[in-house]
Amino acid sequence: MDMQIFLQQLVNGASLGSMYALIAIGYTMVYGVLRLINFAHGDIMMVGAYFTFFAKAAGLPFEVAVLIGIIGAAIVGILTDKIAYKPLRDAPKISLLITAIGISFFLENLFTVLFGSTPKAFSAPEYLTKIFHIHGIYLPISVIIIPTVTLLILAVVLWILYKTKYGMAIRALAFDIQTVKLMGIDADRIIMIVFAIGSALAAIGGIFYAISYPSIDPLMGIIVGLKAFAAAVLGGIGSVGGAVVGGFILGFTEIFVVAMFPELGGYKDAFAFFFLILVLLFKPTGIMGQDLERGRF
Amino acid sequence: MKKFTSIVATMALLGGMAYAKEVKIGVVLPLTGNIAAFGQTSKAGLDIAAAQNNKLSNGDTVKLVVVDDRGDKVEAATAVKRLLDKDKVSVILGEVASSNSMAMAPVAEKAKTPMLTHASTNPRVTKGKKYVTRACFIDPFQGAVMAKYALNQGLKTAVVVTDAKQDYSVGLSKAFKKAYTAGGGKILKTILINSGDKDFNAQVAALKQANPAIVAFTGYYPEAALMLKQARDMGVKTPFIGADGTGFPQLVKIAGKAAEGFMYTDHFNEAAVSSPEAKAYVAAYHKKYKKPADSMGALAADGYGMIIQAMNNCIKAGKASDDKECINKNLRNTKGYKGITGVITIDKDGNAVKSAVINEVKDGKFTYKTTVNP
Repeated sequence: MDMQIFLQQLVNGASLGSMYALIAIGYTMVYGVLRLINFAHGDIMMVGAYFTFFAKAAGLPFEVAVLIGIIGAAIVGILTDKIAYKPLRDAPKISLLITAIGISFFLENLFTVLFGSTPKAFSAPEYLTKIFHIHGIYLPISVIIIPTVTLLILAVVLWILYKTKYGMAIRALAFDIQTVKLMGIDADRIIMIVFAIGSALAAIGGIFYAISYPSIDPLMGIIVGLKAFAAAVLGGIGSVGGAVVGGFILGFTEIFVVAMFPELGGYKDAFAFFFLILVLLFKPTGIMGQDLERGRF
Repeated sequence: MKKFTSIVATMALLGGMAYAKEVKIGVVLPLTGNIAAFGQTSKAGLDIAAAQNNKLSNGDTVKLVVVDDRGDKVEAATAVKRLLDKDKVSVILGEVASSNSMAMAPVAEKAKTPMLTHASTNPRVTKGKKYVTRACFIDPFQGAVMAKYALNQGLKTAVVVTDAKQDYSVGLSKAFKKAYTAGGGKILKTILINSGDKDFNAQVAALKQANPAIVAFTGYYPEAALMLKQARDMGVKTPFIGADGTGFPQLVKIAGKAAEGFMYTDHFNEAAVSSPEAKAYVAAYHKKYKKPADSMGALAADGYGMIIQAMNNCIKAGKASDDKECINKNLRNTKGYKGITGVITIDKDGNAVKSAVINEVKDGKFTYKTTVNP
C-alpha cells in the first residue's frame, strides 16, 4: 500500500467511523441512564433520514429538511420512550430490552408498509457533495465535514453533561434513579431529554450516512445500528467519549481490513466484531469504560 | 326414455361444469426487502400477462396466489410450503434471486410440484432437479457474453467484484473469469462485497490500485449504484460491466451521472422486440404503467405464458389442467415458445436456451446495444 492510498483509506475510515460515533453516542447515553440497550436506535436514524428525504421532496430547502429530520427523529425518540419504555420503568430490564427490539421491528415494518422497501435516491446539495483532488487523493467534502461535526457535537454533549444543570441531573440519574427522584428532580423529564438528544444525534448520523451513500431504505438502520452498538461497547458503554473512540476504531478497522485484504472484503463485518471480542476479552468494560456501578460519562 | 336422456344430459352438464374449475399458480416474489424492485417489476409484468389471458382451452380459469418472501431464503422456502399445503397450488412461479430459488427448489421437488423460475440464472437452481425449470438463460452463458463483449472492446485486464452473499454473483463471477481467461483476458484481482453494504470506498481504492481495463460487477443494483458512485467520486474512470441483476431504473436514480456508460447483459430490451406477442405486451405495459417495460416483468410474463401453454397441452392430451406431472413434463419439453424475451427452448437440464441483449446507460436511459445469440 503506498502512501497515497494509505491516506485515502485513512480519510475514508475517519468518515465512516464518525458516523458510527454519532449513533453510538445515543446508545451510550440511553444505556447510561436507563441501563437499556435501545435496539430501536438504528431505526431512529433511519427515521431521521426519511423525514429529511420527504421534507426535501416536498420542496423545502435542504437545510430546513435536515432540521425537520432531526426534530422529527427526536420526537419519535421521545414518543417511543413515553409509549413503550416508560410503562416498564420498574419492570425487569429484560422486558425493556425485548420491547426495544419490538419497537425496532415495528419502525422497520411501518416504514416498509408506508413507503415501500425499494431504496430511494437521496440527493444532497452541491456544496456537501463536492470533491477535492489533492495530490491524487480524492477528498469528498463530506469526509471533512462529518468528522468535524462529530467532534463539535461531542464537545457540545460533554458541555451539556458537565456544565449544565440538566447534565448534572443526567449524570446523577446514571448513578441512582431512585435517589434522584427523592431529591425532587423530575426523572422522566430528564430521561425525555436524553432520548431527544440521542435521537437527534442518530438523525444527524443518518443524514450524514444518506449524504455519503445516497440511497435510503427502511432497513438501513439495522447493520449501522449494530455497528454503532458495537462501537459503544468497544469504547465502553456508558461513556460518551468512549463511544466516539469506539466508532472511529470500528470505522478504521473495517476500511483497513478491506484495503489490505480485498479478497476478504466480504467478511469485513466479521473482522469488526472479532476485534470487538478481542478487546472485550482483555478489557471487559471497553476501552474507556469504567466499572459500571461507579462513574459514568 | 325421454326423462332418462334429460337426466343424462343434466349429469353431463353438471359434470362439465365441475370440470370448469380454478387452477392455482403459486407465485413467490421479493415484494419487499433489499431486492424488492425485482419482485415488484416481476409482479407488474405478471399482472399484464394474467390480464391478457387467464382462461385455459377447456374453460378453466387460472388464479395467481402471490406471496412475498422479503427477499429472504428461509421465507421463500416457507412460502412454497404454505402455497402447497394451504393454497393447494398446482405450479410454483418464482423467485428472482438464485439463492432464494435454491431454497425453494427442494421443497417443490419433494412435493413433486413443477416450479418455474423466471429469472434465477445460477445453474445450480435446476441442477439435478426433475421439477424445476427456468424461463431465463444461465450464468455460464451470461458470464461468457459479458467476457466476450469486454474482450471484443479490447479490454484485456479485469477486476471482478463479487457479492459474497449471493449465489448468483459467485456463480456469475466464476463463469465470467472462465470465459475471460479462455479468451485471452487477465483477471487482476477479485474484490468481495456483501449485499447490504453501503461503503465501498476501500474496495474502490483497491480497484484503483489494480487499474484494470474493465470492472466486471456481478452483484445486484443497490450495491452497483453505490459502488459506481463512489468509484467515479474517487476518480476511477474504468468502465463497468454488469449483468441482469443491475439493470434497474434505481441504478440510475441512485448513481446519477456516475451510471453513465455502465454496460450490462440483460434478457430483454423493449427497443429490440420484433414479434407481435412482444409488441402487444410492451404496448399493454406502457398503457398500464406509463414507463418502459423491463426485463423482470417480461420474464415473469413469459414464465406465466409457458405455464399456460403447458396446461393447455395437458388438456389437449386428455389430462386435467392441474395434473402436476403432466404440467412438469410439458414445461420441460417447451420448444420454440415465442415469448416476449425471445424464443425459448428448454434443454434437458431444464434451462432456457435463448439470446441475451447488452444495454448501456446513456443520458440516464438503458439503451440497447446488441443481441447475442447462444
